[in-house]
Amino acid sequence: MHVQTAITIESLAKSYAGKPALKAIGFEVREGSCFGLLGPNGAGKSTTMKILCGLLDPDHGRVAVFGKDASSSGEEIRRQVGYVPQSITLYEKLSAADNLKFFGEMYGVRGPVLKERIADVLEQVGLADRAKDAVDSFSGGMKRRVNIAAALLHKPRLLIMDEPTVGIDPQSRNHIFEMIRSLQHEGVTVLYSTHYMEEVEALCDSLAIIDHGEVMAQGELSEVLDRFGTQAVYLELDGQQEPPEIAGFGKPVSKDRGWILETSSPLEAIASWAATCQAQALRVKQLEIVRPSLETVFLSLTGTTLRDV
Amino acid sequence: MVFSLAVKEWKLLLKEKGTFFWLLLLPILFIVLFGSVFGNLGETKVSLPYIDLDQSQASRSFLASLEQKGGYALEEKNESQLDDLLSRIRGGKASALLVLPDGFADDLKGGSEAQASVELYEDATSQVVQPLRSTLENIASGMRESNIEDELRAAGLNVGQIDQAMTAPLRIEDKPQNVQSTNSLTQIVPGYTVMFVFFIIISMIRRFLGDKSSGITARLRTTRMSPLSYLLGMWLAYLVVAVIQCAILLTFGHFVYGMPLGDVVAAAAVVLVLAVCGTGIGLAVCMIVRGENQGIGITQLIALGGAVLGGLWFPIEYLPKTMQTISHFIPQYWAQKAFQDIMTREAHLSAVLPSLAALLGFAALGLLVALARFRGFMKSALD
Repeated sequence: MHVQTAITIESLAKSYAGKPALKAIGFEVREGSCFGLLGPNGAGKSTTMKILCGLLDPDHGRVAVFGKDASSSGEEIRRQVGYVPQSITLYEKLSAADNLKFFGEMYGVRGPVLKERIADVLEQVGLADRAKDAVDSFSGGMKRRVNIAAALLHKPRLLIMDEPTVGIDPQSRNHIFEMIRSLQHEGVTVLYSTHYMEEVEALCDSLAIIDHGEVMAQGELSEVLDRFGTQAVYLELDGQQEPPEIAGFGKPVSKDRGWILETSSPLEAIASWAATCQAQALRVKQLEIVRPSLETVFLSLTGTTLRDV
Repeated sequence: MVFSLAVKEWKLLLKEKGTFFWLLLLPILFIVLFGSVFGNLGETKVSLPYIDLDQSQASRSFLASLEQKGGYALEEKNESQLDDLLSRIRGGKASALLVLPDGFADDLKGGSEAQASVELYEDATSQVVQPLRSTLENIASGMRESNIEDELRAAGLNVGQIDQAMTAPLRIEDKPQNVQSTNSLTQIVPGYTVMFVFFIIISMIRRFLGDKSSGITARLRTTRMSPLSYLLGMWLAYLVVAVIQCAILLTFGHFVYGMPLGDVVAAAAVVLVLAVCGTGIGLAVCMIVRGENQGIGITQLIALGGAVLGGLWFPIEYLPKTMQTISHFIPQYWAQKAFQDIMTREAHLSAVLPSLAALLGFAALGLLVALARFRGFMKSALD
């Protein structure tokens, strides 16, 4: 079966007041996939998404959505794209149904079709019983779900989600995850921006890691993990401020309450660290081999953990 | 899309209690307050204390004449209160005191050898004194004429000759040009209606800047909505609100205070064009201002400055000549003029066309500025 490309980005560059936000980035998103755009705040994720949605013009480069050039087919692309911005962009005094009616009409959906779509998307986000309630009576998570629902009314082929889970409760997060999986199952392509690596690992089948306006790595999730993920050892001590150094290995990096040491010889590293701790009478709380993850990938690519950025 | 935007806006305005306060409740409060103060001004009587030491038929007749001609509410005091009353005048707590001395009647009858007098104790700074003095002089003139008539009669002139001799060489003929009677309400009701139409700009600023800062404007650009639809939809919403606001305030003035509406079609045309003008200028302000506080400041300048210079609070004739000329460059002046032409001069649509043209000119200017600045507004919303 021939797989179409949903998004093509080539040499995309954008600067704000002379300061580069994107430095000629490029990647492709396969139709029907959930593509993660992973990077710290200020990496260039939102700028990329705004250019994709036609909100910003790039300085250089080419963007195509479902084969249509964004610079010349903006109107056609807008019909096929749903955009969920990072902020909650709803009228708080209006009910969820009134907000959806308004956004639906802005997407060109009307009448009985819109009524049906509002009922469907409210069901999809688990808020069918709160349709008539004012949005300002909702929790943060519920607002986020309505915020997503507003982008689904016109049945988009591509859903662009800019950090849709910031500051929400686990229940709402799970609801959103289930909804994204269900949309993907229906054939919707999802471009998902986040700085939570575990979200990308849980949802996405491919990704691009972006930092300082550059794509550091991209590809299928398993590919990226295999290619850039190194094994590592994690050590946590009781009451110790600095990690014990071990000869022949690199410098450990602070992580959570302990340190992480990247190495291609994890068994030797764990043995050396264990011996050093024993010799210095340090109380070990945790010492283990860490499996390759996006966190270690990011560490190996940038030299920092994502949360330090 | 334009209508959908307007419907959304009306729903939001209905949910916001502040809208009703600013656009309806506050102007009605102003109309009621100033209508109560100035609406019955012609019927209000100034109280005037007096001491009648003569207690004669002539003194009572004089006081009755004063009460009738001057519209004063006379308050009788006795001689023992004189010092206290004078002290009140010196302290600025009372304006005047009239004393009719003992022998007032005898002096009146005394013919040319004697002259009756009344004593007017006054606060020189009070604005009540000058009209009172004029009234007293008027009564004194009447008495003098009566004496002359008596003298002419005694000299043997008949009634016709006396009438001819007493007829004033100058006659003032009243030629009222306004069919409707004017009163302070034909100033107050349209005045506050026009003034508060411009306060709608505050609601417009809040929505435009609120949509921009919350990211709604940017999100809407990812839909099929065109930028121009957004501008037109918002304008339509507030235009209709301004029309309803004017209609309610004028209807209130008509039914509660009996203010004449004149030609309803002409009045409706003024309301519509005024709403176009107020919201057109409002759009321009929304596109220019950088923040809500700046917007509220500019709106107050437009609404309150325009109210003074446009003659909304008091007749334009009270302003210095230069200011009256400047008024012609204020939209409120033309709106108030059009309303007053219709309400007090029975003007019809054709007669208020110049005022409507002037208002449309201001509206066009506002809309042109809004369109010129709209691109920048949208760009800043997307950054």
